[in-house]
Amino acid sequence: MSRVGVLRFPGTNCDRDIWKSIELKGHTPQWIWYQDEFSPEDFDAFLVPGGFSYGDYLRSGALAALSPAMTSLKKADAQGKPIFGICNGFQILCEAGMLPGALMRNENGRFIDQWVTLKLENKSGWTPAKVGESFRMPMAHADGRFFINEEGLKDLKDKGQVWLTYTNNPNGSVADIAGVMNERGNVVGMMPHPDRALFEWMGSTDGLQFFDWTGEA
Amino acid sequence: MTLQEKLKLYRINETEYARITELLGREPQGVEWAVFSALWSEHCSYKSSKVHLKKLFSQSERVLQSFGENAGIVDLGEDEKVAFKMESHNHPSFIEPYQGAATGVGGILRDIFTMGARPIALANYLCFGKPTADRMSELVDGVVRGIGGYGNCVGVPTVSGQTNFHESYDGNILVNAMAVGLFTKDDPICLSQAKGVGNLVVYVGAKTGRDGVHGASMASESFDEDSESKRPTVQIGDPFFEKLLIESCLEVMKQDLVVAIQDMGAAGLTSSGFEMADKGSIGITLNLDHVPLRDETMTPEDVLLSESQERMLLICKPEKLKPLQDIFHRWGLDAVAVGEVIEDPVVRLIWKGETLTEMSPKMVVDNAPQYERPFNPWTSATRSEHGEISDGDVNNESLLATLSHVTGGDKSWVYKQYDQRVGANTAQDCSNPVGAVALPSGRALGVVLGCRPHIMRQDAWLGGMDSIAYPAIELASKGFEALATTDCLNFGNPEKKEVMTEFVAALDGMNKACEAFVAPIISGNVSFYNETLDKGVSPTPSTGLVGLRPSIDNIPASGFTSEGNSVVLVTLAKGCSQGLLWENQNKQGQFFFDTELAKLAQDTKNFAQVVNSLDVTASRIVGNFGLAYTLSRMTLDRGLGARIQWDGPAGLEPLYQVVLTVADTQKERLLSSLASHNIDATVIGVVTGDRLIWNDLDLSTRDIKESYASSWTKAFPRLS
Repeated sequence: MSRVGVLRFPGTNCDRDIWKSIELKGHTPQWIWYQDEFSPEDFDAFLVPGGFSYGDYLRSGALAALSPAMTSLKKADAQGKPIFGICNGFQILCEAGMLPGALMRNENGRFIDQWVTLKLENKSGWTPAKVGESFRMPMAHADGRFFINEEGLKDLKDKGQVWLTYTNNPNGSVADIAGVMNERGNVVGMMPHPDRALFEWMGSTDGLQFFDWTGEA
Repeated sequence: MTLQEKLKLYRINETEYARITELLGREPQGVEWAVFSALWSEHCSYKSSKVHLKKLFSQSERVLQSFGENAGIVDLGEDEKVAFKMESHNHPSFIEPYQGAATGVGGILRDIFTMGARPIALANYLCFGKPTADRMSELVDGVVRGIGGYGNCVGVPTVSGQTNFHESYDGNILVNAMAVGLFTKDDPICLSQAKGVGNLVVYVGAKTGRDGVHGASMASESFDEDSESKRPTVQIGDPFFEKLLIESCLEVMKQDLVVAIQDMGAAGLTSSGFEMADKGSIGITLNLDHVPLRDETMTPEDVLLSESQERMLLICKPEKLKPLQDIFHRWGLDAVAVGEVIEDPVVRLIWKGETLTEMSPKMVVDNAPQYERPFNPWTSATRSEHGEISDGDVNNESLLATLSHVTGGDKSWVYKQYDQRVGANTAQDCSNPVGAVALPSGRALGVVLGCRPHIMRQDAWLGGMDSIAYPAIELASKGFEALATTDCLNFGNPEKKEVMTEFVAALDGMNKACEAFVAPIISGNVSFYNETLDKGVSPTPSTGLVGLRPSIDNIPASGFTSEGNSVVLVTLAKGCSQGLLWENQNKQGQFFFDTELAKLAQDTKNFAQVVNSLDVTASRIVGNFGLAYTLSRMTLDRGLGARIQWDGPAGLEPLYQVVLTVADTQKERLLSSLASHNIDATVIGVVTGDRLIWNDLDLSTRDIKESYASSWTKAFPRLS
């Protein structure tokens, strides 16, 4: 059984959802409070859940990125520990410089909740899914338009860091990007919610496999 | 200030003023004016409606808490309970749509978690004017952004809603928000009764500012040309604070650190302080200068009347103050002792050591005026005694016109801006007639809103009855049993006899249906004075029903799912209305309804059980615009069409029928199950191909979808 640290900031609101997802896969979740530093050795993997940390004040994820727990999370990254940010968690990892690019206001200027179809572009350390496989799951965000400059995009593509793309771009993201990874493939982030596609009654079970660490990038 | 000016400022009339001087034995002084103004406002005192509300059916075996607390509670069995309530925020939303709607959501959520329940679902009932009416795009945009901005951030999913458009709301929109909270096994129910002499009165949450001063009395008045100048009476919300307040309050309640708790809603500290003391038949002191302020120049009166959001008043034992403060501070919130519980049954208001006044809460709360406003017995102008009502003309062209009209078209622009799935429990979102969330026990909780304003405009009694029966049948069509109801009674000026007549008739219709369906009304509010320049809104008693289903799995879809399925029309009652089709052509429709409510309720209950015992693939109540429109909506999800062979009405709105689809192999079982309960059901067609074909009607499902999707931009070109 692997021990998965779940970060909680003031305003995090998908923390309990992530907790359930992790348990469902047979792992052991454990809370990490944003004010506390921790030892990366005590955990096998980390999840940064969605929500509105600090009420999205300043910029989504900007304030959370500066908290003590994030200092420890960077140490965990340096040790190559698997780290996964979903929605606001993705925004926080970008703001902390642990993932490339930035997430900006959706093209239509509004919050969008809808189902999307995603395609796996490159393998990361998370999910056993194969390149080219597609997944159906919900997204729900106002600041989810992935942005990176041309040079950065070329770099991402060259290094195979584009993790997931939308088949029907809902928010104006550059190159349809829905999720990216760092160079090593241990840190990943995505805007849509695999934690909301776990059972048939939710409308899809495609999210389940995203809570597995395979270690093969 | 002259007496007349004071009466105007505090919105107290002369009779009430006379009563106040009689109760006090003298003229009111200083902050006493503010206290009476707030607690005797229509909004807080229900002075025009109380005599009628007392008659409401409000109890059942499942009801643990009815009126009198922040929200009602029903027992779901299996160690699960839910608290729920609906509340209006019409006046503030018209003045300042974003903040008005946002704080409406915030306020209703506080009513729920104040009781110890974790909020698990939101729903909202909105009525807007004609899209072309003055400010309407701005109002729609602001309200939707406000609801989304607040609900999304606090992390409570919006799972159901209703959006209506009619010219009667041009000058007075309606914004009603409903919240549902869950208690699991070890969650305590917290009440608001002050107890225990020597206990501390603690203020928690956000700091107090000047926003919302005089808000309750503002909401108890009609609008004039000058509603713009009322903007400072609207509160400003901060959902981030609310989220912290939810987590910290639930934590202190669970750790048993709280004796009583009440949120500061309308009339802020005044109403929470007086009501908590009144309920406990005990006294409290309030050091108004201890209240954390945003602006140090605020007066005691400002502090008393402020409607700043995200604040709570609670009572705790002195030895529990420290652990309680530790938890609130950990979440970054203030928690300050501002007074104590005293034996003397008075509320003593203190400012910098000096007693401003002490008043008996009983005197103020229990002596609030109650009016028996005049009304007439209900007589219907549109009832057809014999049921001879002609069908409307439904053809390709008229059906596409309905689908592309704002009243019949796609409203996903609205709900796509709401997070419908945060919490990861949503099984049916806003695109379905009934919202559904998973309970920890594996069962499903259904949430649905009622009240069709066009039926209200046709007949107030029928509309009131329909506000309960229609959503109860929608629940049944998905296999839920209706358990209880909350309501928002949105009406015009109760001092007008015709408004009061409709109010009484609608309430009677609702009440009879609630009793028949055993769906007692256990919480809610009344919003009068929804009028501008003497023009009132359509009477709109919106309702929210919760229902229970034995399993979260296999809830029927709302559109056609599989080629070859049989289309079955189930008739639950004898009645119909010339509804929206007529109204949209400016014609006065008639209706006919000849069904015993007790039988309808029993049949509905049996029907829900049949739905659950068989593999029903899809279900949809036949609603606005009648059967042809309902069938066209069922093609939208997957583009599957149907071939219908039936000689019933296409455009009349039945009271009440439901469309089901089942696999052909299940058809006979379904019919015989329904027949065994004496419920009438007929196979009217088959799901097939990509066209909807019925008599002269022959449309491709793509054209249906295009018309439906075009409606929003057609109505609101500026909102995309």
